[in-house]
Amino acid sequence: MSPAAAPAPTASPRFVRADGPDKVTGSGRYTADLTLTGCLAAKFRYAGVAHARIRRLDVSAARSMPGVFAVLTADDVPDVRYGPFVKDRTLFARDVVRFEGEIIAAVAAVDAATAQRAADAIVVEFEALPVVNDIEAALQTGSPLVHEGWSGYEAADPMVRDRNDATSSTITRGDVDAALAAADIVVKGRYVADGCHAAPIEPRSVVAQWEGNKVTIWTSTQVPFDARSGVCETLGLPASRVRVIVPHLGGGFGGKCGFHFEAHVAALARATRRPVRLVFSRREEFLAPDRRREGIVYEFETGALRDGTIVGHRVWLAIDNGAYTSDSGFFAQMAAMHALGPYQVPNIRAEAHLVYTNHQPSGSVRAPTAPQSCWALESHLDELANALGIDPVELRRRNAVRTGGTGPTGQTYGEIGLLDCIDAATAAVGYGQPLPDDEAIGVAVGWWPSFAAPSGVFVKVDGDGSGQIITGAQECGTGAVMTLRQLVADELGMAADDFELVYQDTSAAPYDMGATGSQTLFNNGRAAIAAAGQIADQLRRLAADRLEAAVDDIVLEGGRASVRGTPSAGVAIADLAAEAAGGELLIAHGSGLPPSAPVIEGATCIGDVGVAAWIAPQFSCHAVRVKVDRETGVVRVLHVGAAHDSGTIINPVGAEGQVQGAVLMGIGQALTEGTVYDEAGHQRNAGLLEYKLQTCADAPEIDIHFVQIPTPDAGPRGAKGLAEAPNVATAAAIANAIAKVSGRVRQLPMTAERVWRTGVGA
Amino acid sequence: MSDRLDITLRVNGTEYPVSVEMHRNLLSVIRTEVGLTGTKEGCDDCECGACMVLVDGQPVNSCSYLAAQAQGREVTTVEGLMPTDGLHPLQRNILDEGGVQCGYCTPGMLVSASALLARCPSPTDEDIRIGLSGNLCRCTGYAKIIAAVQRTAAEG
Amino acid sequence: MSFTIASTLDDALAALAAGARPIAGGSDLVVGARHGKAPLPGQLVAIDRIAELRGVCATDSGVAIGALTSHGELESNALICDRWSALADGCALVGSPATRHVGTIGGNVMNASPAMDTGAPLVVLGAEVELRSQRGSRHVTAADLWTGPGRTSAAADELCTVVHLPDQGARSGSAYLRLEYRRAMEIAIVGAAASVSLADDGTVACASVALTAVAPTILAVTGLDTLVGMPVAAAAAAARAAASEQARPISDLRASDDYRRHAVGVMAGRAIEAAARRAAGESIPVPLNRSTGIGAAWSSTGAAS
Repeated sequence: MSPAAAPAPTASPRFVRADGPDKVTGSGRYTADLTLTGCLAAKFRYAGVAHARIRRLDVSAARSMPGVFAVLTADDVPDVRYGPFVKDRTLFARDVVRFEGEIIAAVAAVDAATAQRAADAIVVEFEALPVVNDIEAALQTGSPLVHEGWSGYEAADPMVRDRNDATSSTITRGDVDAALAAADIVVKGRYVADGCHAAPIEPRSVVAQWEGNKVTIWTSTQVPFDARSGVCETLGLPASRVRVIVPHLGGGFGGKCGFHFEAHVAALARATRRPVRLVFSRREEFLAPDRRREGIVYEFETGALRDGTIVGHRVWLAIDNGAYTSDSGFFAQMAAMHALGPYQVPNIRAEAHLVYTNHQPSGSVRAPTAPQSCWALESHLDELANALGIDPVELRRRNAVRTGGTGPTGQTYGEIGLLDCIDAATAAVGYGQPLPDDEAIGVAVGWWPSFAAPSGVFVKVDGDGSGQIITGAQECGTGAVMTLRQLVADELGMAADDFELVYQDTSAAPYDMGATGSQTLFNNGRAAIAAAGQIADQLRRLAADRLEAAVDDIVLEGGRASVRGTPSAGVAIADLAAEAAGGELLIAHGSGLPPSAPVIEGATCIGDVGVAAWIAPQFSCHAVRVKVDRETGVVRVLHVGAAHDSGTIINPVGAEGQVQGAVLMGIGQALTEGTVYDEAGHQRNAGLLEYKLQTCADAPEIDIHFVQIPTPDAGPRGAKGLAEAPNVATAAAIANAIAKVSGRVRQLPMTAERVWRTGVGA
Repeated sequence: MSDRLDITLRVNGTEYPVSVEMHRNLLSVIRTEVGLTGTKEGCDDCECGACMVLVDGQPVNSCSYLAAQAQGREVTTVEGLMPTDGLHPLQRNILDEGGVQCGYCTPGMLVSASALLARCPSPTDEDIRIGLSGNLCRCTGYAKIIAAVQRTAAEG
Repeated sequence: MSFTIASTLDDALAALAAGARPIAGGSDLVVGARHGKAPLPGQLVAIDRIAELRGVCATDSGVAIGALTSHGELESNALICDRWSALADGCALVGSPATRHVGTIGGNVMNASPAMDTGAPLVVLGAEVELRSQRGSRHVTAADLWTGPGRTSAAADELCTVVHLPDQGARSGSAYLRLEYRRAMEIAIVGAAASVSLADDGTVACASVALTAVAPTILAVTGLDTLVGMPVAAAAAAARAAASEQARPISDLRASDDYRRHAVGVMAGRAIEAAARRAAGESIPVPLNRSTGIGAAWSSTGAAS
């Protein structure tokens, strides 16, 4: 196939992303592709041990090496503790290291090899401290403390802290003890989920350059404004002197949320008066960020009536917070919500602990706490269904939340489509049809919030009739930012291609929370429509003058403004733009008020971080057919039915891509992806050979169904979020399928060896 | 003895005389001395395929191939796939099908796909899955990438 | 430091005699150096352009495989697929298409990894490795070549030039299977190759089994003469038991020792069955893992999709 033989491009009605040509030609620049004249290379010296007191730290040899420009330690930066929920972290270790990937020193040198040699030449002497390696043991009285000084840390109000318990959350409603006592059947279950990783294919990179007293930082972050805040807080700078720019971002999945290494590199650049670039290796990408998907231990107790009505549900869970509290401060309550699930259970008690250990810090990875909690709960409910002798899907239909119904925390729902999701997903894979005896279909339901947040967009239309959307939103690959062009164009009767996106620059655009919480379209879409609406009003006024008609009668459509009912007599929007260019410019800003949180009734929340009731909740059902090789425990996923109520789907191609990618990630979480720690608290599989992502050869057939119904309090055009929700239920559905063939596996990931051991009863 | 070698690399039809350390991998020389950054580093370990290039038409993980080994051979990167006046059919189809999200695996994926279609112009679904199995993608679940290769093959 | 490109075998042997290390594809060397296994040698001689070391050539007594023949060439070579199927099964499972293009049989053999997918096939197929140096040439069996993980009995100046596989005789077949957690980009957790010859009555006339990743080197299962005369199913069961018993696996990140011990038996039994089917004339596509094994592309109809 020679390039010359390329057929003529065919017009496609499908969504083609604005950043697509950059990405397919190799011309798009990611952070590691940038270089600046005089740029130095940064390397970190990591603790390498999980828990120790620093007895001696000597950087003199490293500093005096030829080609080394700076070696920084805690002594060289402001003594600031930071953290969004608990201020328990410093840029560089002070006195104590608490996980193997903790940074002790940072080096800037003429090239990466020199920087690495200097980092290796730093002398550190440790006094070993006992390694807190087990979540449950860490909660015992008498456990060694990860933070001796925990009680002195500043923390957000809802944090309920006690020694290694970074926070806990309790949600109660009704009388669970009485309900369990009165139930016809009570089932108990314990499940353990190992941690795992976001593992974006781009390892992160940061470039920083000072000009005068201002620093510009190019970084592979999902949340440029958060990154900026972190730099400001830790280096003592006002936001007006810190500009964060994100070149193309090579995926994140939550792993690049939060503030990470921007301040270290900025500090190196300031100390050396040179631009400095940090590029992570894959191993560093595994070990150093405070964004691992958290391991969780669950204990469930659920009571039901003979007819399958669940009357009481109790869960205790403990989350591996790792050594520091990143954005994990909301995980306890969020995990509790997912361990309760989208069920109408009147009597509940959920108790969740976020527990310090000497592991890599946990943090938001795609639907944090949800896939593993859904896996545990849905495994447990299949065991309940078996005990009741009821079909598991029927059990879910009977108890699932529904329109007008009330969820476990007392939130009453408007129009929701969970029951439709169950129908669609099970139908997609032929649930109930006979299968070979080594195959089975498992089903699980899940849910995930939409997040309301402030967000802003500027829109302008220039004299030639083309325009720019200048947004604080961050594109991490999902296409959510790309979709803004269509939203704006639709408001203005223009074409998406008329607009350029200017994005990922904190000094150019208004605030947005970033590519986190599936919130981009929900909030930034609202802002973009608001901004476009102002331009539309301006265009209508100009057109009304030209066409001698009432403003309210002007319709913007197909690149023209015309009077309603007489589309032929109109004026090109480009002509109006040209007119505006000589007068009042077409410039607008939009934000819009985020919807307010729904109320809950009857539930008592301790450690309430505000996630016990959800705006525009999303619902899903995944039904998965698997084949199990009983002799080896190897599981192959054959067919997935994924049905989602994520509100209106604005960009179907992008939405399908989110589901397909999330399902494959879910298969990895289910079968092959799990962090393995040794007894000393080291990750044993910090590389892509031993931490196995699913390959193209492993991807199953996936049937996707979107349940699109009118949703109260949704985002633009009735959209909810989407990118995280399809990651919730896959592993759970796989678990329930495996259990039917070879028994219940109570640890995630359900590796071949674990499946085999379950099957042989070992 | 110096550990530097003066070698000439031929990349996308252009010759680049470069002076590199003997142990430098082809990836870093392409990205630094040659100055083409479309080829990405994802793992430096032959595990992810983001660094895939063609050497004499065959796919090679450039992270684990010495630059010195490429002397006298024709290296093709993603930048060399496209005709001067537009996109290679694979590039166009992967966009049309929605097979690009973050884009970081895309260059390597396109290189592997072009090698696959060169040796197997009418691949089965399984041929495509195995042919692209050395290229990890975390975003797409591969479905739309497979569709793009199928479509390109169907267009001939 | 030196890097030379040899264009003839004599050039390469001279460089080796002068202390250089050979590099063909280089993947194992480069990745190994990065992981701190061994630093890259200061003197390298690139042997990948020596045409005489590449290709598959039928001989009077079998087949001669040039050391530079890639896994990709072997997995698609009709002769190898048809008559030395186990080797093709193994080659087709190595890494990715790129790895299979760059990786060579000679590099594999001299790297001496106990987890290499070509190792067990070479043992059951009775491979002999030809080593050349300026001092002369010699043949060693694969089993005698490998002395430990990453270690061979070859001298530093010896280059692997040819891998010889003898004819397998009428009504014989071979197969290689491995345990893998995903369908591609795997390293064998365990694996087993089998070679089977059938008597006219369909019973086993001769069988051999070798195991991957359960000992410091590829492990040839002994005592299989008891399989002679057995129906295939019984022979498979016996091979399975013998493999599990003789395996000396370790526990590591990829699997525990008892799981490996169990699974290698499963692989051995399945390899015997598949080899016997091939011996009986059935055509089972290469690689076995993806046509009938645990990595098969099962579709809703049960057929490979």
